[in-house]
Amino acid sequence: MPLQVFFLRRVLLTIPLLIGITLVSFVIANAVPSDPVSANIPQNAFDNEEIIAAFRAKWGLDKPPHEQYLTYLGNLLRGDLGTSIKTSKPVLEDIRQFLPATIELASFGILIGMALGIGTGIVAAVWRNSIADYLTRSYVVIGVSFPIFVLALIGLNLLHVQWGIVAGPGRLDFIIRDPPNVTGLFMVDAALAGQWDKFANAFSHIILPAFVLGSYVAGIIARITRSSMLEVLGMDYIRTARSHGLRERRVVIRHALSNAMIPIVTVIGLSTANLMTGAVLIESIFAWPGIGRYAFRAATSQDFPAIMGVSILIASIYVMVNFLVDILYYFLDPRIRVA
Amino acid sequence: MRKSVMFVLAVAVVLLAGFGAAAQDEKVLVIGHTEQTDFYDPANGFTGTTSMVRRATYDTLVTFPDEDASEILPSIGASWAISDDGLSYTFTLDDSFRFNNGDSVTADDVVFSIQRLKYVNGNPSFLAAGIDSIVANDDGTVTFTLPEVRPTFVTELANTAFSITNAEVVRANGGTDGMDAAETDGAAEYLNQNSAGTGPYQLESWAPQDETVLVRNPNYPGEAPYFDRILIVNIPEAATQKAALESGQIDIATDLSPDQIAELEGNPDVNIWRGPGQWNHFLIMNADPEIGGPVSDPKVWLAVRLALDYEGYLQLWPGSVTPGSVMNYFLAGAFQEDRAMSRDLDRSRALLAEAGYPDGFDIDLKYPDWNAFGIDMNINAQKVQADLAEVGINVNLAPGEFSIALEEYRLGNAGFGYWLWGPDINDPVDVLAFVPGGKVATERLRFTEERAPAEILELRDAVKKESDPMRRAELFEQIQVWLQESGNFAPFLYPPTQTALGTDIVGYNWHPQWVMDVAIISRDEM
Repeated sequence: MPLQVFFLRRVLLTIPLLIGITLVSFVIANAVPSDPVSANIPQNAFDNEEIIAAFRAKWGLDKPPHEQYLTYLGNLLRGDLGTSIKTSKPVLEDIRQFLPATIELASFGILIGMALGIGTGIVAAVWRNSIADYLTRSYVVIGVSFPIFVLALIGLNLLHVQWGIVAGPGRLDFIIRDPPNVTGLFMVDAALAGQWDKFANAFSHIILPAFVLGSYVAGIIARITRSSMLEVLGMDYIRTARSHGLRERRVVIRHALSNAMIPIVTVIGLSTANLMTGAVLIESIFAWPGIGRYAFRAATSQDFPAIMGVSILIASIYVMVNFLVDILYYFLDPRIRVA
Repeated sequence: MRKSVMFVLAVAVVLLAGFGAAAQDEKVLVIGHTEQTDFYDPANGFTGTTSMVRRATYDTLVTFPDEDASEILPSIGASWAISDDGLSYTFTLDDSFRFNNGDSVTADDVVFSIQRLKYVNGNPSFLAAGIDSIVANDDGTVTFTLPEVRPTFVTELANTAFSITNAEVVRANGGTDGMDAAETDGAAEYLNQNSAGTGPYQLESWAPQDETVLVRNPNYPGEAPYFDRILIVNIPEAATQKAALESGQIDIATDLSPDQIAELEGNPDVNIWRGPGQWNHFLIMNADPEIGGPVSDPKVWLAVRLALDYEGYLQLWPGSVTPGSVMNYFLAGAFQEDRAMSRDLDRSRALLAEAGYPDGFDIDLKYPDWNAFGIDMNINAQKVQADLAEVGINVNLAPGEFSIALEEYRLGNAGFGYWLWGPDINDPVDVLAFVPGGKVATERLRFTEERAPAEILELRDAVKKESDPMRRAELFEQIQVWLQESGNFAPFLYPPTQTALGTDIVGYNWHPQWVMDVAIISRDEM
């Protein structure tokens, strides 16, 4: 199958998926037995019918659900995600505000996770049943099962409060002003503006939360890398490669790893999407103004437009990452090209 | 390979050495706070964070002392006169106030601000619902007319929701005070990002759920505040606030739990500010037999109050006091600890037997699964369960998601529950919410006027109209005695407000109306 057709087919498949997601999130958000009025209006205004009516009219809550949904879809087609009840700003603008912080954190997290995970996974597979393998396997169990918020709090208290090695909560020291906004990624923006002190400060702030996120992902990646590598290392063509006298490093990297990559790419893809959307705890603990914290706040305050906006965003991220993973498969596995 | 590793290490070392090098000349106060802001627009916002920012950026006609809400002081309203029938209030304006763009405050600004609050139907608009009209008599005086006599009116005006905004600026940004303001006003967006007030600071920016920045008002005629810039940083996690305070990243941590405060006790760089809190914790009992079942019986109400181990709650939450009544502790005339209920299990059992429950009964306790400003309600609920078990009441804990539990409570469908209350008006009249006919007693707990004895209704009606302070105090005393004997609430805990701050921070004071006044805080540079 030519790449173009493969590409087009994947793109077309995402459309019904996204519409389905809007419907599911709308139904779930509406099925919750609580009322946005009680979550967003002060208790003493509850008996003031005018205030409640104005609130309902303002947010379209006075209309029947199907009408609300169709209006929502119509606006969505025009690129309008509505206005958040909680921040009283357009949801799209909120996403633009909160998403870069998450992208920056998740990117660092996944980089650390990949470096740690693939590295230790290979070592464990190549030197199977060695000390390194046992250490890796113990790390995997601990990394995956250790509660991430405990690790975060321990890290914050030891590395920041006690030893002062890394900076604490926030994306920058609070008294430092944000770099000029270009991408919303502070390190990139600071570098673009040549503000290297801010770049360094942002780096010092991101390293701990990214490491905490990465260490969790690393456990999963290491496990998959190890088992995938073990499988490949037992293959005939590896024995053939060795018998041709290739250096071991070349055998492992060029012949074994590249063929073991498919499940690793899958798990990295899923982890990336997971980090982008599921870093709520880490964002809360590190006062990181990202999309996870925004989503949590939206959910607890019954902020319908924000809940819908975030659901669509999260779904789109998963769809996009899966899409990228599929494209990568196309290049990694020649069999897909002929299927 | 080795070279590249060395390079990366070298870069990392340089980067880490660089952090913290960003020196700042200006004086900055950093407050770590769980942001609650709905709006910063005075007519639309009604949260603690909003009040704090409004206190710094606006003024009201009247105000409270810096320390508490014990008396009413003039502000933009230099003086006021009340008509003989008690229905009209005429304020003479102080002409020394200046908006942040340099304009003087006129009667038109006052009328505009109050009418906009009333008609925009925002979160605090209920506060202005009881005003019939406000008119400007001339540039320097305004007159309010009320539909009925209300001695608490001037106190109500001290709420920061009654902040006076610059009418010209707000109008220019889409604001209106017309009766159709709920539909046509469009100034909230502007006022969420800018302020148009007379306070010592002005709002520079608000990134919702991230950070609020205040800078000095360049046209403030009074003495300039100490700090050039105030940062209110949203740190929702209390443990993170604590860490940020310990490392000196923030100056004030507003939301630490009592056990975190205890951990900071020995820290030489941290001071703890302590004072009476805002929230009264109590059990509610529904007066409708269909909903409340056994807890709809007035004898059971008293039995429950007598069964609680008040001392035990104080041990759970150090620094707390036992509420003397359901009237909030710091309101004038509120019963203090010396008049609080004390445990009497025998009398409690006897009352239950009289009510027809000699062996107790089973009941669900409905409450939000919530950490209420540092107090985990689940812990108190478990203590209530243990306390009541001693008189045979078998409590089944039924926590619910906050907004769902609130809905049930608000609609009057919770039989037996656990909630808390902070006053909306800093006047003893706030306690009337707990008297039959009042918001909490009747709407939420179905203690209707028909179910209530005449004596309490007479007391309530009398105190509403009474303006003589001595007589008022007597009436509130009687109302509190009645609530202790016959009310359908069991107040059991009044946690303190505890704020942790750097030892160099001077002048901090928690306030029941505006949380803190950042303009009176400074840094000891010694």
